[in-house]
Amino acid sequence: MTAIDDDLGAATGVPGRGGVPFPMRDRLHVPRERYFDRGFYELEKRSLWSRTWQMACRLEEIPQPHDFVEYEICGRSLLLVRQPDRSVKALHNACRHRATQLEKGAGRLAGGQIVCPFHGWRWNADGTNSFVYGASGFAPECLRPDDLRLRECRAEVWGGCVWINLDPDASPLREALHPVADLLESIAVGNWQVRWWKEVVLHANWKLAQEAFMEGYHVPQTHPQLAGGLSVEDFPVDQNRYDAFDNGHSSFGRKLAGERYTSIETLILGGQLLSDGQDAMTLERDLTVFEGFRNKIQPGDDVGAAAAEALRDHAKGAGIPWPEGLEDSPLFFGGEVFVFPNLFFLPQYNNCLSYRIRPHQDDPEWCRFEVWSLTTYPATELRPRAEQLGRFAKDDSEHWGLIPMQDFSNIERQQAGLHTVGFEETRLATEWENAIGNMHVELDRRLARD
Amino acid sequence: MTEVVIQPAGFTIDVDPGETLAESAWRQGYRWPTTCWGQAECMVCAALVVAGETATVPADAAEEEAMRLRMPRHLRRPESRLACRLMFSDDGAVVEKKGVRPPPDPQTDPEGANT
Ligand code: FES
Ligand code: FES
Ligand SMILES: [Fe+2]
Repeated sequence: MTAIDDDLGAATGVPGRGGVPFPMRDRLHVPRERYFDRGFYELEKRSLWSRTWQMACRLEEIPQPHDFVEYEICGRSLLLVRQPDRSVKALHNACRHRATQLEKGAGRLAGGQIVCPFHGWRWNADGTNSFVYGASGFAPECLRPDDLRLRECRAEVWGGCVWINLDPDASPLREALHPVADLLESIAVGNWQVRWWKEVVLHANWKLAQEAFMEGYHVPQTHPQLAGGLSVEDFPVDQNRYDAFDNGHSSFGRKLAGERYTSIETLILGGQLLSDGQDAMTLERDLTVFEGFRNKIQPGDDVGAAAAEALRDHAKGAGIPWPEGLEDSPLFFGGEVFVFPNLFFLPQYNNCLSYRIRPHQDDPEWCRFEVWSLTTYPATELRPRAEQLGRFAKDDSEHWGLIPMQDFSNIERQQAGLHTVGFEETRLATEWENAIGNMHVELDRRLARD
Repeated sequence: MTEVVIQPAGFTIDVDPGETLAESAWRQGYRWPTTCWGQAECMVCAALVVAGETATVPADAAEEEAMRLRMPRHLRRPESRLACRLMFSDDGAVVEKKGVRPPPDPQTDPEGANT
């Protein structure tokens, strides 16, 4: 870590444990430089993004053999390529001749060939070289097959996604996802498929942007329409259970105590607000199911249990997979799971809202924020290849619901506020915002590694 | 599956629904001339639909644009199509393309050196 001590310590902050500048001194304060300091950001690139498991694409982006999609993280580009045996390989996206990036975006390798657009060298879908134009003009030592093979990166499939790790010595994915993988499996994470997928670019650090989704504490002020007509003073702050886990992961969800829904009306009204304002956790489909049993509910019935039963009956009738006990998952009625370092799942019933946040344009103060609506489709339904609908402005009400627009607008105001004279650190609630401190402490642990 | 006759060699290639002619040929081991392998960049795959045009799916805007931009004007005919974009709705199309070669015969060509 000497380079970090030398480069960053003097210039940008007093290094803490393992030479990490602007370290977390506890779980309750986040030094503001962690959100804009160039040295801190460079350290994240070296010690976090180059060495962590991260979601590179959803499987529905590359459904067929020879489909590919590019994944970019901090200036590194990888190609996720579906193989004829349906496995997925992650190949570093650079020609072995003179480094030209081989593919951009998403597409298909017709004829199973990756072709360099510069001099036409070619590779099979598995990264083995298949053609060198004018090979007779090269010294044999320049064309050793091992050197010509496209470099491969660690890739594993879990939860409907392809995950990559640029560190060849990383421990297995499943270890890194502990304990949230088990939690997500209780809600059948692997059954979800893309319903829609959009992106916004935000003028904010990637961590700051995602912290807005780690707590429900902001709900009555940021999303007053979700507070059921209550003022922020009257809105109960302790409705959620917040769990900070090992490895930087966390989760929150409604506390299970007491009647979940006081009436069928609260269930439908809340569902409508989510469906209109977000179109991802509760869907029209669910509201139709709820309407269907509205008149059958008797006073004193357990509305939550009746809703689960109606959804399950509907799924069975429609051929939608419904694993045994799905309705018993702690996430079934809505919850949030944060997968360190940058992925969110917010499941409800057999749907899910999902986010992925990445640094953008090599600038600590910008990020790409992607949003997915996922749901469980009938097993026999043939889904089109998943494509992003596009990048939309944060206040584009044609493309964003009210709820994300409200979240996005505060995120940029926070980033701007960080630069205020006299503002040194954020301060966090022990009870409602512990997931944020937990993420930063894990980040420091990663940054301090040799 | 639709049957397409390739002239002058006289092969019949079976093309799957939703599959392009070039991709089908490559999948079955034919050599279909190309440099870009299906990216609508090289124009090397271009062929002429000489009969049964009604059995073809018409060119979309992207294919037209690629040919307008990249195909030398003296080579372009009204019946020109990119084999890497050409799909079929029915049997009966006849496509002219020189240089298409059959899959290597394992008996006479054990190395598969057909290129
Ligand atoms: S740079 Fe790729 S073939 Fe030359
Ligand atoms: S294969 Fe290159 S344009 Fe069709
Ligand atoms: Fe929010």
